[in-house]
Amino acid sequence: MTISKILFSTLAVSALAMAAPATAKIVTGSNVSDMTVTDSNGVQHNLSDFAGKKVVLEWTNEGCPYVKKHYTTNNMQKTQAMAEAEGAVWLSVISSAPGKQGYKTGEQANEWKDAQGAEVTAIVLDPAGDMGKTFAAKTTPHMYIIDEEQTLVYQGAIDDNRSANPATVEGANNYVVAAMDDLKAGNAVAESDTAPYGCSIKYQS
Amino acid sequence: MRTFIVTFLIWLLAFPAFASQSVPVDTGKVTASLVSSHDSVAPGEEFYIALRTVLDEGWHTYWRNPGDSGEPVYLEWVLPEGVSAGDIAWPLPRPIPTGPIVNYGFEGTPLFPVKFTVSPDAEPGSVITVVANFYYLVCKDVCIPEQGSASLPIAVGESVEDMGWKTEIDAALAASPIRGTVQGGITKTGETVEMSFKDLPGGDFSKAYFFPYEQGIIGHSQPQLVTRGADGLSLTTTPEYLWEDPMSGPVDGVLTYDDGGTLKGTQVSLAVGQSLDIGAAIVPKANVGGVTLWTAIIGALIGGLILNLMPCVFPVISIKALSIAKSAHGERSVIRREAWLYTAGVMATFLLLTLIILGLKAGGAEIGWGFQLQSPKVVAALAILLFVIGLNLLGAFEFGGGLQNTGQDLTRKSGAAGSFFTGALAVIVATPCTAPLMAGAVGYALAAPALVTLAVFMALAIGFALPFLLIAYVPGLLSKLPKPGPWMVRFKEILAFPMFAAAIWLTWVLSLQAGEDGVLVTLSAMLAVALAIWFFKRTGMLGKALGALSVLAAIAMPLSVTANAVVGDIAVKELKAEKWSPSRVAELQAQGRPIFVDFTAAWCVTCKVNEKLVLNKSNVQTLFEETNTAFLVADWTNKNDMIAEELAKYGRAGVPLYLVYNNKSVSPAILPQVLTYGVIRDAIAEE
Repeated sequence: MTISKILFSTLAVSALAMAAPATAKIVTGSNVSDMTVTDSNGVQHNLSDFAGKKVVLEWTNEGCPYVKKHYTTNNMQKTQAMAEAEGAVWLSVISSAPGKQGYKTGEQANEWKDAQGAEVTAIVLDPAGDMGKTFAAKTTPHMYIIDEEQTLVYQGAIDDNRSANPATVEGANNYVVAAMDDLKAGNAVAESDTAPYGCSIKYQS
Repeated sequence: MRTFIVTFLIWLLAFPAFASQSVPVDTGKVTASLVSSHDSVAPGEEFYIALRTVLDEGWHTYWRNPGDSGEPVYLEWVLPEGVSAGDIAWPLPRPIPTGPIVNYGFEGTPLFPVKFTVSPDAEPGSVITVVANFYYLVCKDVCIPEQGSASLPIAVGESVEDMGWKTEIDAALAASPIRGTVQGGITKTGETVEMSFKDLPGGDFSKAYFFPYEQGIIGHSQPQLVTRGADGLSLTTTPEYLWEDPMSGPVDGVLTYDDGGTLKGTQVSLAVGQSLDIGAAIVPKANVGGVTLWTAIIGALIGGLILNLMPCVFPVISIKALSIAKSAHGERSVIRREAWLYTAGVMATFLLLTLIILGLKAGGAEIGWGFQLQSPKVVAALAILLFVIGLNLLGAFEFGGGLQNTGQDLTRKSGAAGSFFTGALAVIVATPCTAPLMAGAVGYALAAPALVTLAVFMALAIGFALPFLLIAYVPGLLSKLPKPGPWMVRFKEILAFPMFAAAIWLTWVLSLQAGEDGVLVTLSAMLAVALAIWFFKRTGMLGKALGALSVLAAIAMPLSVTANAVVGDIAVKELKAEKWSPSRVAELQAQGRPIFVDFTAAWCVTCKVNEKLVLNKSNVQTLFEETNTAFLVADWTNKNDMIAEELAKYGRAGVPLYLVYNNKSVSPAILPQVLTYGVIRDAIAEE
């Protein structure tokens, strides 16, 4: 099955995104329902199952210094707790291919989750990179927020300090928190599209 | 690590009282040091200090815009009083792809020079100690943030350059892009961003690339398609999120290109919303090196000569050769007269063709060589004519007897009219064929002003008629022709069969142009011909009248044949390809797929041979699948202005034409008319 077929069968995005290659960015405002993924416990989720809830996607890679920056400082866990408090679903996605940095089996992923104290709904295992390429995820971390209507309302960086230095978390503007606050207040997300930063995702190809 | 030890040893050996290199720092995958252009500097002087980084094999660091991921090299200076530092003169970045992600960065030994200025009040004899805290993310398959600190003492006093490091720093500065003369504009239309550039320096821009300073303007991982214009260059790619709001201010960045094998770059500021006029797009012409009037004329002359040997012409020519042989032992003056009349027939027919072409062109029609075969009426008429000639050669009938005027044996009569019309017929049957050298000349002629068109076509006519003129004028050639005898009758009869074969081929072409109705009408017309012959053999007025009626029917029937649009794209289906259109090409290019385009026609013999022997073979099909190459077919069997226009763009007036678009450039490569698997493979693989 080619990437373009996956695109067609699993993701109803705008016609423009359809015509573009599989690695092209998806447009903020696209509908992203109907995509089936498998988590670290072998449970299948379809994005449409979460209709009516906000969904936060976080691309992650344990070995990446930028991911470490946000976990060692507890910044990512705090953001997860904030999202959970607002009733959002949080999916951490690992798109590292087997043998590459950050790849995890289901068991390893669960151990890592416990060790980090990560408060996530599920860890999605995407070793083939299908979900990553569908969302055109490029970095770890790379963040996406989907609203109750299954519309993509935010994509990009976690915050505005593009450094790997843990000291820079303090004082940075957390885009995910800001977007969730905008949504909570009933407003459109002000910063809906930012440049992600971090390590490249370790795709198969 | 190994690089560190080597660097450290060199440093130890070279370390003088005041070094112009700091102690190298091994940060893991990178060995970094500060190097200075000067051992000591005079008060008020400007000089350079560079962060010199030696990267382990295969590792890279990042440019000021790191691309899809990563982080730029970062430098922080701790400076004493009286010294000031400028910005980094960034080296030229390169796109570094990792899977679907593209980064902008450096490998090897990048230098990051910074200009320093010493205050005029600095005291000679004092020492300035420059300290740099540096940080960089270094990546291969994984990423490691590394940092370190280096200090470099510099004496104030006399200005003393360090020849070694100054050379290296100067080279880095020379390679670092500066603001040149290049003007630029950037516009977004739909899901396409077009960047246009003018006033370019010399160099090869076929692989030009624009690196923006900012993220969010263009997709870093999307190809930038190059179109070269007479006055500039444009790059098209996809927009990023910053376009969602109105863009303000110019888009700054670096345009890289090739200059004699060296990567060069220039800073450009793109005006938002401006599309610069880059002049007419330069597309590769079929004839590399450029066709001039003279090469076109010579090409036409030789091409015309070779045309005599083409399968469509050879039988007709043979008939003439026969009549020459017949009179070979007659008077030379008679032969000369015949040769000239034949030439006149050829020239007059070419002239008529040229005038029709010019007239149609002036009327706005897009036509090319072989255009008359796009009319099914002409194809039907030619098929019937060849059938008649075949019958005649077989001796089924002789012209002359009853009906005067209509029935002169025009081609065989060794009179004035006979020679003239043999020339005319030869030209008419020659048009489906293209001889080597002709394609370029004819393409050139049709794109040129009317007088040039005329000159080239007349050269073609002269070349075509040349064999007979040579026989008539070169002494000795005539006596080389075989002596007339009974063998001539046999030979004449044999020639009937190529005529029938040609008629069958034309009927097949017609089946593709006009469907089964066209075939029915044509075969019926042939029946009428046979009837006419049979009637004329009868005596009495009724027979003659019915014969004349049949002749009229045979003439009228082909005129009723019309093109059938449904069957026009037969080649598309045969080749399991997609139908060509400019918009489809643009779409596929946007997807970054390589494209092979086959411009073909049912009446084009070369096209059919290439399709059967190369394009339809499984190795080519596999190649297309493996490289994800789109196979497009433009079928020119029937008239199609869009295809004619596209052919003209590449300096061609006819088919076949084979184009390959790889995903680096908007302009395709033109493949030779004789295809092979290797030629196609290389063109697709070409970066």
